[in-house]
Amino acid sequence: MSEPSFEELQRELDELVARLERGDVPLDEALALWERGRELYRACAERLDRAELRVEELRLGERHLEGDSAAQDG
Amino acid sequence: MEQLALGERRVYPVGAFNRRLAGYLARVRDIWVEGEVSELRRSPAWATVFLTLKDPETGASLPATMARRSFDVLTPTPAEGERVQAMGRLQLYEVRGELSFRITAVERVGAGDHAQALERLRRALAEEGLFAAERKRRLPRFPRAVGLLTGVEAAARGDVVAAITTRYPAVRVVVAETRVQGPTAPVSIVRTLSSLATCDGVDVIILARGGGSFEDLLPFSDERVVRAVASCPVPIVSAVGHEQDEPLCDLAADVRAATPTAAARLVVPDLDELRAGLERSRQRISAAGGRVLERDRARLARSREQLVVAPGLLVERRRAALDRSGVRLQALSPRATLARGYAIVRAGGAVVRDARAVAVGEAIDVELASGGVEARVEEVRP
Repeated sequence: MSEPSFEELQRELDELVARLERGDVPLDEALALWERGRELYRACAERLDRAELRVEELRLGERHLEGDSAAQDG
Repeated sequence: MEQLALGERRVYPVGAFNRRLAGYLARVRDIWVEGEVSELRRSPAWATVFLTLKDPETGASLPATMARRSFDVLTPTPAEGERVQAMGRLQLYEVRGELSFRITAVERVGAGDHAQALERLRRALAEEGLFAAERKRRLPRFPRAVGLLTGVEAAARGDVVAAITTRYPAVRVVVAETRVQGPTAPVSIVRTLSSLATCDGVDVIILARGGGSFEDLLPFSDERVVRAVASCPVPIVSAVGHEQDEPLCDLAADVRAATPTAAARLVVPDLDELRAGLERSRQRISAAGGRVLERDRARLARSREQLVVAPGLLVERRRAALDRSGVRLQALSPRATLARGYAIVRAGGAVVRDARAVAVGEAIDVELASGGVEARVEEVRP
């Protein structure tokens, strides 16, 4: 079973928030939902952090490449 | 002592005889003699010009002289081979007893006839379309070989060959010498032209003939020559005589040049100019190539920029969306509600929403924002 994607997690979070906002959820369930929501949020944030880090790495790599080609041109 | 009488015989010394003879001859004046000029000798150091008048039919000849001053003012001055009518008187060179014809006036024979005949021929050939502009062919840009038709031992020949090969060393010059003067010249020119035209590699022909008298240039107006020039399979540049002469072959040629050297400049490209042109083209091409390359490089750089920025932007957008969800979630937190002073009451594990759900004395569990209390129901107010 593969890990759910960021978008799936985000969608689940949004649906959960929407259910909570309707206010017809029994309290205990609401509490459970809320806990779940916090988990989802944390998971999503972590994914984004990882993605950001990766983008940053790629950017650094790109700069290295530029440096190389500049050295060759010179 | 003029003469001696020895019996019946009257004898003169040579000097006296010659003097008397000269006296007789001097009485013969203003005679017209017609013949061809030959053995013409003129020097600026001499006061007299010497020549021989020849009868072309019989070969008979008559020595003649003319005062150089009178000779020089004739326009054009008579040339060898020319047929003239000369007026003069008989003269004896007493010292040597030589007879000569002292010319006082010269007229060309048939010069006027020639000019008229030439004009008639020019009109006829023009009417035939031989000189039409649309018949003119373009000269080849890079001839393999240049044919040069010139007079025997012509002075201009070396200049022309040098002018051609200096400009364009890759070209071969085929020199064909021919008689350009006299009655056999037209046939000789036509024959030489035709052999030049069929010569391997000859892509253009120069007809070169320096300036000369009207009669000198007549062969180049001969109908046979003019027709040969017009029908020559190879383009022809004519450089015959001077500008004002305009022999008919000039009109029939594809291009006319003022001088043989000018013709040389017309038939071959200048190698140095070619090189310069090539260099200019090369620079333009490389500049154009550079521009294309630069444009592509810029486009690639933009793409790379987008490639680098795009994932970052995507993460940014996702984070913004997540933040909005987070804020909403936080607002919905039950704990946040408790923090505002609300409490959750549970009886037997179930959340109590209705007073009637509990009985007096029943134990209930109250959950607060911080911690909780166990309590008992004392009163129910349904």
